[in-house]
Amino acid sequence: MFKDLLKLERFPTTWCPGCGIGQIMIQLAMVMDELGLNYTNCTIISGVGCTGRLAGYMNVDGVYTLHGRTLPVAEAVKLVTPSLKVIVVSGDGDLASIGGNHLFHAARRNPDLTVLCNNNQVYGLTGGQAGPTTPRDTPTVSSPAGAHYDPVNLQNLIKAGAKYFYAKTTVYHQLHLRNCVREAVAWPGFAFVDIISQCIENNGRRLGFNSAYEMLLHFRKTYKRAPEGAETLEPYEIGIVRQG
Amino acid sequence: MKRLVQGNEAIFLGAIKAGANFFAGYPISPSSEILVLAAEYAARDPGFKFIQSEDELAAANAIIGASLAGAKSFTATSGPGFTLMQEAIGYGHQVEIPTVIVDVQRVGPATGMPTMPAQQDIVQTNYGSSGDYYPLVFYPNSVEECYRYAAAAFSAAEESLSPVIVLSDAFVGHLNEVVDIDAIEVEVVPRSRPPLGTGRRFFTGLAHDEEGKPRTADAMVYREWLSKVKARHKKVAARYSDLEFKENTSTDTLLISYGIVSRVIAPLASEFALFRPIRIFPMMGVELRECAQGYEKIVVIEANDGQYACLVERELKREVIQIPLLGGRINLDLARKGLSEKLERGLP
Repeated sequence: MFKDLLKLERFPTTWCPGCGIGQIMIQLAMVMDELGLNYTNCTIISGVGCTGRLAGYMNVDGVYTLHGRTLPVAEAVKLVTPSLKVIVVSGDGDLASIGGNHLFHAARRNPDLTVLCNNNQVYGLTGGQAGPTTPRDTPTVSSPAGAHYDPVNLQNLIKAGAKYFYAKTTVYHQLHLRNCVREAVAWPGFAFVDIISQCIENNGRRLGFNSAYEMLLHFRKTYKRAPEGAETLEPYEIGIVRQG
Repeated sequence: MKRLVQGNEAIFLGAIKAGANFFAGYPISPSSEILVLAAEYAARDPGFKFIQSEDELAAANAIIGASLAGAKSFTATSGPGFTLMQEAIGYGHQVEIPTVIVDVQRVGPATGMPTMPAQQDIVQTNYGSSGDYYPLVFYPNSVEECYRYAAAAFSAAEESLSPVIVLSDAFVGHLNEVVDIDAIEVEVVPRSRPPLGTGRRFFTGLAHDEEGKPRTADAMVYREWLSKVKARHKKVAARYSDLEFKENTSTDTLLISYGIVSRVIAPLASEFALFRPIRIFPMMGVELRECAQGYEKIVVIEANDGQYACLVERELKREVIQIPLLGGRINLDLARKGLSEKLERGLP
């Protein structure tokens, strides 16, 4: 049962009602259950921020690292214990901003890690500041007139190396999300899953959404599956691009 | 067998003797020999893992990950890199992670004078990261001691469950001395914690209770945790109360120095009493007070602007005369000049 992989005794979680992280956690637990991953063969490394708390709710050894430092920790764990499945779960701010240098180099070195990026396009825990993935012109508490810059292109960053795995999905597309996580876990190298998710309390309401449900419907409307065999995902396409 | 060994090499060999099997680092003079030796060792021995990290932030976090995964891990750096490692050092104290960090000091701040020797990271070892923590720090002054205290640092790390610092400097690191490494006996303490992949634990940099559950608004849980850690560190520190004291009844002056400066001023033993802390932190208390008793004047000679002197003053609650040897020039003449200016001519 996937529920055995959750520390239900620590529920309710710290996350706001409607947050996307819980749904990512459920899908991850389902994939782990399917693949026989548990506390004897798997560890979860998470970063700082709302997403970072995920490792504490899973029934495996988990590490809540410093802000931005998931990848150096995870790479070392994998190098010392190659038999362990090492899954990194963190937010876009943690992975792409403060941990950006590590992301670029980890992708280049291509260690066997699965990285799930909760991409809610905002710094949620600290109150809704613009992050590296905030779309241009989006108003946030730290960009009241709209974000000044284009967001980081995670796909191109991950695809810079000769070998790569980049998946994009959303919390609305649950089966697609689960499939991406499963494929990423099975991938023998650095696998990055970019999961568009909703932060209703510290981002969505400011953007005019009344509920997390409305944000999910927005994902349904906006994101389309990439055509079979696509080598590049267009901005609002979900799918997997990889090269082994 | 006796042979010529370099200080940095002795640190590496001491780490290996202690069972180290993981090194992550970023090249920085004057510590880079340790990184190169680790790379060479990893190429020969597949049981030894090596990462040349993208920066010191990554290196310091990698040794933490390796420690959690069951390895005995270490890194080596110098001032600017040591500064970048401070966040991971704080994390290591909060999460109680045994690991070892070697800092071969050079003149700072910032890039400073690469790579002239200095002792300017003394306070940084103790107060460089946020929060309260009680680091164990060793500062050897010879090649033999580099070996001995590198090994001791790994044992102290396991016993204290914390990152332990080995201080060195460009002179001690590049000192070549004839030693018989194999004849040096060191105690080796096994790993203290089961590796990742054996439990359902949560290792977090958040304040937490005994079960690893985050407790971020409970002062009592935090205070109990801090006092437990403090008591443990005090106990471990007492096992490593290593110091050198050369009494001299013909003088009223005690010279305090450590690391390379203590080597340089060794010829002054006939004129002054000498005190040298080897486990430089936690601060020597009782030992320092006992040794200082009976000496009217206390002088601290160090290659920084009074970093340790201020701490000695606080410990002894007496005025301490400072003789800073700055800018990478550390020699006996300068020390003598300082002593004559301050003791005989009474200059400030």
